[in-house]
Amino acid sequence: MKVLVFGEVVDGTIQNITYELVACAKKLGEYLTLVTSDADVSSIDGRVIKVNAGETNPWHYKIVEKVIERENPDLILFGNTSSSVDIASQLSAKLPVATSVYEVSAENGEVIVKSLSYGGKIIVELKLTTPAIAVVNVGSYNAEDGKGTASVEEIEIDELGVRDGIEFLGYIKPEEEDVDISKAEVVVSVGRGIGDETNIEMAEELAELLGGVVAGSRPIIDQGWLPKTRQVGRSGKTVTGKLYLALGISGATEHVEGVKAKNVIAVNTDKTAPIFRVSRLGIVADVNELLPTLVDKIREIKEG
Amino acid sequence: MKICAILRLVPDLVEEIEVEENEIIPFRYMPNERDEHAVEEAIILKEKTGAEVEVIGIADSENEADLDEGLGMAAAKGADKLYKVVLDRPTYKRCEIAKALADFLSDKNYDLILTGIQAIDSYAGNLGGILARYMDLPYIGGVVEVNVSNGNTIVKKELGGGLLAEYKLPLPAVVSVVSAERPLKFVPFTKLRQAMKKANIEEVELELPEIEGVEVLKYEVPPEPEITLIEGDVEEVADKLIEALKELSIL
Amino acid sequence: MDVEEMLETYFERINEIPNSDKFIQCIQCGTCGGSCPYGMGTLFTPRRMILAVRAGIVDEVLQSGAQWLCTSCFTCSLRCPSQIPITDAVIPALRELSLLEGNPPEELAAALMNITRYGNSFRESPRKRDRWIKEVDFEVPLISKKKKAEYLFITECFGAYHRRCKEITKAFAKLMDLLGTDYAILGNEERCIGDLVRLCGEFGLFEDLAEKNIRVFEKYEFSKIVTHDAHAYNALLREYPRFGFKKEVVHHTQFLYNNLEKLKEMFGKLDYTVTYHDSCYVGRRNGIYEEPRAVIKAIPGVKFVEMKRIKENALCCGGGGGGVWLDSFIKDHIKERPAESRVKEAASVGADVLVTACTLDVPMFEDALKVTGLEGQLEVKDISEIILEAIENS
Repeated sequence: MKVLVFGEVVDGTIQNITYELVACAKKLGEYLTLVTSDADVSSIDGRVIKVNAGETNPWHYKIVEKVIERENPDLILFGNTSSSVDIASQLSAKLPVATSVYEVSAENGEVIVKSLSYGGKIIVELKLTTPAIAVVNVGSYNAEDGKGTASVEEIEIDELGVRDGIEFLGYIKPEEEDVDISKAEVVVSVGRGIGDETNIEMAEELAELLGGVVAGSRPIIDQGWLPKTRQVGRSGKTVTGKLYLALGISGATEHVEGVKAKNVIAVNTDKTAPIFRVSRLGIVADVNELLPTLVDKIREIKEG
Repeated sequence: MKICAILRLVPDLVEEIEVEENEIIPFRYMPNERDEHAVEEAIILKEKTGAEVEVIGIADSENEADLDEGLGMAAAKGADKLYKVVLDRPTYKRCEIAKALADFLSDKNYDLILTGIQAIDSYAGNLGGILARYMDLPYIGGVVEVNVSNGNTIVKKELGGGLLAEYKLPLPAVVSVVSAERPLKFVPFTKLRQAMKKANIEEVELELPEIEGVEVLKYEVPPEPEITLIEGDVEEVADKLIEALKELSIL
Repeated sequence: MDVEEMLETYFERINEIPNSDKFIQCIQCGTCGGSCPYGMGTLFTPRRMILAVRAGIVDEVLQSGAQWLCTSCFTCSLRCPSQIPITDAVIPALRELSLLEGNPPEELAAALMNITRYGNSFRESPRKRDRWIKEVDFEVPLISKKKKAEYLFITECFGAYHRRCKEITKAFAKLMDLLGTDYAILGNEERCIGDLVRLCGEFGLFEDLAEKNIRVFEKYEFSKIVTHDAHAYNALLREYPRFGFKKEVVHHTQFLYNNLEKLKEMFGKLDYTVTYHDSCYVGRRNGIYEEPRAVIKAIPGVKFVEMKRIKENALCCGGGGGGVWLDSFIKDHIKERPAESRVKEAASVGADVLVTACTLDVPMFEDALKVTGLEGQLEVKDISEIILEAIENS
């Protein structure tokens, strides 16, 4: 099976998802990567087609179409991320597509995928006729396996004969430089179950005691209890450190996608909360009750 | 300016969903949260620019009754016109819905078509982008703010980790919204019921085309995870958690 | 809405509430603001709310958010020399304006939305309302099976879903079981009774809840309602008759008092110093002061002490009137939550156990114990829990 990977560039940098998709493609057969913005592509394993068409833009689907015509792939892989989905979803008007995919395999020339759907409560297994598109969740494959040495072919955008429709104006970066939760070894993350804002302080204290940082799920950020830079999940950041301590987070798919820490410990009152599915240790308890006791005990250990 | 927002139904996850190998049977449906944000953004644009807002609710014969609350909510917030589009059969294929919708929308002359970026049951495509292609309109998703001034439409798109990008969009266009600029407006019960009574809802039946290429092999509940679950009183579980932290040499 | 419309809507609502004609008799004495647990947190105390309405600047009150700084404790209403229904009319009608404007505090908006959709504020399935009966070692009868009972036991949302409050429900059901009471529950047919919804100004939703609940009550034969939820008790007693519900309503403190002779025979000894917190809608609003005290004092070994602020002067737990859904909003306006002040008061009189008689109190006070560091020194128990303990100790 021949696989085309859509390489994602944000603000001039190849995103990690690209390597993850290459890792996935490698398992399926012949593969190549298309990158539509200017970036250093040298660490992408295998063939790379580079078209410098400016910052990532939804109209780049037209470039992908041209490359599909030229290369005839059986499968095109996209990351389930904000800018890649713009392109994947427009291409799926013509090609069969599966979204929220976490596992891709090939069988008798057909593509079989597994999608984690309904807030992580149901797995849907789908069969796609080729050529097909799979939109793969962040963290489903190991990025290291997709790194290597690129053999790059550059194509001038003019050669493709496609035009611009939407104009990129610029990036708006978060106002303050905040701690980078994606690089922290220990992340104490709070969700809806934390109850009220005052408990954030206690979570901060716990994070400090553990030498980590505080993060949160979307509802917490939406409420303005933590800055946007502290959001974990699809529209936030992906945490990759040693420990992710999820306090009162139910674990919706969009959230869990951003949880790639080596160890996940979750505290939730609901035994069936999907967060427990990605945890090695689950504690069935009310965060509001547990947190003060836990902070006290750890403080004692630290001070004693 | 004429805007429409698309409002879909999704299974209510608060209730149990029955999962069988070849079908899932939700207890009931509720409005897709991201679509509610699309409706909210449309209302915000109405406040900002005086645009006319039409909301297009989509259901099928199995769940159409569950659509009324969402449409009533949109009416109470200020939508000018409501459509209840009833599909002739349920489908998980977004391309089938998009195709039928594209035909339905083609003569409506909307400057902007808003939809939610995704839904919990979108495992076979995302509606917005497919719809844009069938209608041959520019498309952008992941949007958190839309501004229209002097004929220019500028959208803010969320890229993750607090990073946003701004794009200028030619109209007409299709835009998928992640979240509206403000929290969803609260609608009190009486206002909702009045709006539901007064609402002028045009009901339309749409025939879905059959599009091959995707097939569900099976639905299944994820296997029980390999996890140590600890229950007990707060003291006990706190001690066990501390033990685990020690094992990881975090403490 | 412009201010004119707001005032019109406001008076339309006020006029529907009993005794609101007294509104014009406000003498601006300030007793209300002086009595209010949040009086120091806002410029617009009830007196100044009334003044603002008179001056036609109701929009300024709404902008200040003062309408949400009320825990419906009823102290102002009880003390008002003009007997203006501040708690039932002046404030909920202001809150209604805020709801109509579409921007109440988010936590509260979510709770109201959940009640509309699921019949409970917890975003839980209405089909799980009876789950607690599977967590006890005795049979809790469902009225749908039993058809007929002397008492219909209303658990209300907190009693059915809240982890801590469920324990109170279980304790009271156990007591009825031990007493051989002819009772039953509605199970999944029960939905939010709605007193907090009403006090939050969501009058439309309250009416809908009342009508639906009454329709369910009418399906079955029972002679009285008993409940441990002080707000459910209040609404069933004072508000539901307007919608045609006419049965006797008994608070669980009254029920326990009525069964005291039988209970005494079962009591063992408890070695506690106990104080009793008069919950607003048991005490101040509905005049039940002596029954719970008599029951607690009847437990052998218990040393009963009173706090300073008791009976009609008792301090509120802060949970009523939607306070349970306004915690972060309120915390922005005041230094110390009333519940924190209250548990300190209980500790200061030497109590080991603070007994209450309202489901909202228990989590409010237990939270306050954590904040004040009194955890381990003082325990919070519902009256049914301490009684059950006395029986189990025999």
